[in-house]
Amino acid sequence: MTWKLFSLLLEASLMTLLVSSISILVGLGIAIVLSGMRMSGNRALFAITGVFISFFRGVPLLVQLLLIYNLLPVLGLTLPSLATAIIGLSLCTAAYQAENLRGGFEGVPKGLVESAEMAGFSPVQTFIHIRTPIALRMTFPALVNEAILILKSSSLVSAIGLIELTKMAQNLAASTYMPLPIFASAGVIYLAINLVVAWLGRRAENALPGLPTK
Amino acid sequence: MSFDFAVILAQGPKILSGIVVTILIWVGGNVAAAVLGFLIATLRRFGGRGVDVLLQVPIEVIRGTPFLVQIFLLYFGGPYIGLRLDPITAGFIGISVYGAAYYAEIFRAGYRSVPVGHVEAAECVGFSRNQIIRFVLLPEMALLVLPPSINMAIILLKETALLSLITVPEMTMTVSAIGSQQYAFVEALVVLALVYWALVEVANWLGRIAERKLSKLSA
Amino acid sequence: MTDHAIVATHVSKQFGDTVVLRDINMEVERGKVSCLIGPSGSGKSTLLRCIAFLEQATSGTILVEGQPLGFVGDGKDRRRQSPAELRKVRSKIGMVFQQFNLWPHMTALGNVSAALRRVRGMSRSEAEDRAMRQLDHVGLKERAGHYPSQLSGGQQQRVAIARALALDPTIMLFDEPTSALDPELTGEVLSVMRELAAEGMTMVVVTHEIGFAASVGHKVAFLDGGKLLFHDTPEAVFQKPREPRLEQFLDTYLDRGAAMLK
Repeated sequence: MTWKLFSLLLEASLMTLLVSSISILVGLGIAIVLSGMRMSGNRALFAITGVFISFFRGVPLLVQLLLIYNLLPVLGLTLPSLATAIIGLSLCTAAYQAENLRGGFEGVPKGLVESAEMAGFSPVQTFIHIRTPIALRMTFPALVNEAILILKSSSLVSAIGLIELTKMAQNLAASTYMPLPIFASAGVIYLAINLVVAWLGRRAENALPGLPTK
Repeated sequence: MSFDFAVILAQGPKILSGIVVTILIWVGGNVAAAVLGFLIATLRRFGGRGVDVLLQVPIEVIRGTPFLVQIFLLYFGGPYIGLRLDPITAGFIGISVYGAAYYAEIFRAGYRSVPVGHVEAAECVGFSRNQIIRFVLLPEMALLVLPPSINMAIILLKETALLSLITVPEMTMTVSAIGSQQYAFVEALVVLALVYWALVEVANWLGRIAERKLSKLSA
Repeated sequence: MTDHAIVATHVSKQFGDTVVLRDINMEVERGKVSCLIGPSGSGKSTLLRCIAFLEQATSGTILVEGQPLGFVGDGKDRRRQSPAELRKVRSKIGMVFQQFNLWPHMTALGNVSAALRRVRGMSRSEAEDRAMRQLDHVGLKERAGHYPSQLSGGQQQRVAIARALALDPTIMLFDEPTSALDPELTGEVLSVMRELAAEGMTMVVVTHEIGFAASVGHKVAFLDGGKLLFHDTPEAVFQKPREPRLEQFLDTYLDRGAAMLK
């Protein structure tokens, strides 16, 4: 294992970070919209989001990624691997984040919504300015957890050809015949990234304003 | 654009064999993972501080790295240190070890949830350590560890799909191979997704039944 | 226009089979303070929440500044107001809750200015200027940048009062504003409310502070079992001999307001 090989892995891990962070944020946006649809009181929207969440939580991410990767061109949409990877990871994490957020939304004390109502907020404004920030605050640790899960899951986008950390490790392992040190190094890099994310998450948790009291 | 699902479904027996391999590896791996995880958690609970801290390290390493990298390391890296495994064995070991790290944390939280006083009371009436585990700790934490265990079992079911990448002839590998042979890759993946979805929903349903049964028992 | 800020007519409220309010008729004059007292479960908070339309009366009408609230018409012709109509009538009402209900993700200033910006469409600086004046009014200008979790209960409740006042309501509703506070913190909240009453704000206050009701209320309403038994001046309500239910209720609270009633 040379520094040269290790630096190639480090470089590729930037792609892992890029794909994961964009997917987490896009997924969070989708999850918030899904939550709004679920709480809108509209039964059709409720049912559709329910099926969406169940499907993306019920099918292995690898299968989802392969499906999206092969389905999009058939539908006439040819996207680069990076975009496909982000779409796949975002949809999957959105389903999980929507489930996490549900607990947060249920935990928003009724009085905080009533006080918004009395202040003249419309239901949509209440959702955007009151319920969502409080639900996000309450489920922040789950979000950090999900970020770590997605960082690990992003290794699967290697299967659709995006050259991130795992794909680079595979390529190097094949060309150097040194799979052991190379995959071990990839593992160390993932571990380091996740430890840093977990540490940052704990610091952010402490820096955020307090939780609502019942 | 037209989809032809008939060519996929015509391969029923092959698909079925893939499903059987998936279920066998999943059930076997899950049981092994749960048992191993329980043993690790028990060792940490009773083995003293040194053992507790020492066992934390591999657990964090496994939980902090992707399963895919772990099985690549085992399957492709293993032979370089004399560990030559066939795909199914490697897959089984991979699932078991990976799952064990998570189950160990689930059981650890379970052990922690039981009030110290309950254990002390059992010691006072003369229970041995094994009896305390069997008659006090396990029943008391059962209700707490069941939901995350069901969750973990479902995660492991989905992780078995990755074993296709080390050529284990499970569902994902079998069905996508049929897809390429029949030039119907998208159809194959749709069938595959639906089968996984159904399996996960069935597992969820069984899990809910188990939870209801257990909460009645302990009520 | 009438002299009445609030007119409740034949208001009843049922939760399933449980009757919470029975045929309440009550008027609150503009610029006056009405205090609702009564044992817990008597329906006083429910009545207040009906006046805020946080609960919907099963039947009856409530007029706020002469405008129907929540429903238009009565009996068979009763229909829900549109959300816009409701918001318009409600904009005359400010509400202060027992649990403060400050939004935990916003500072004191954010809590007070949020509706000015989002609902009244003010610019940030305009809204914050006005919010700052309201915080000053309740004596909390220095705490503007604090989050609710960094404030004492009494301070939180004063921020909540400022938040309601910032929207220029003509009526303020208080739902047991001091019940969640430690005894030593109730004073600061009650004195803000006293000032507000002295400035001529129309107020309806659900409270267990009999002393406050007797000294600040122009009228005291006594509810028991969902019925409004009295709504009269404190002197008339508290004079002896008293109605037995009221006597029994006051016995429980007498230690708090005794001096003022003698």
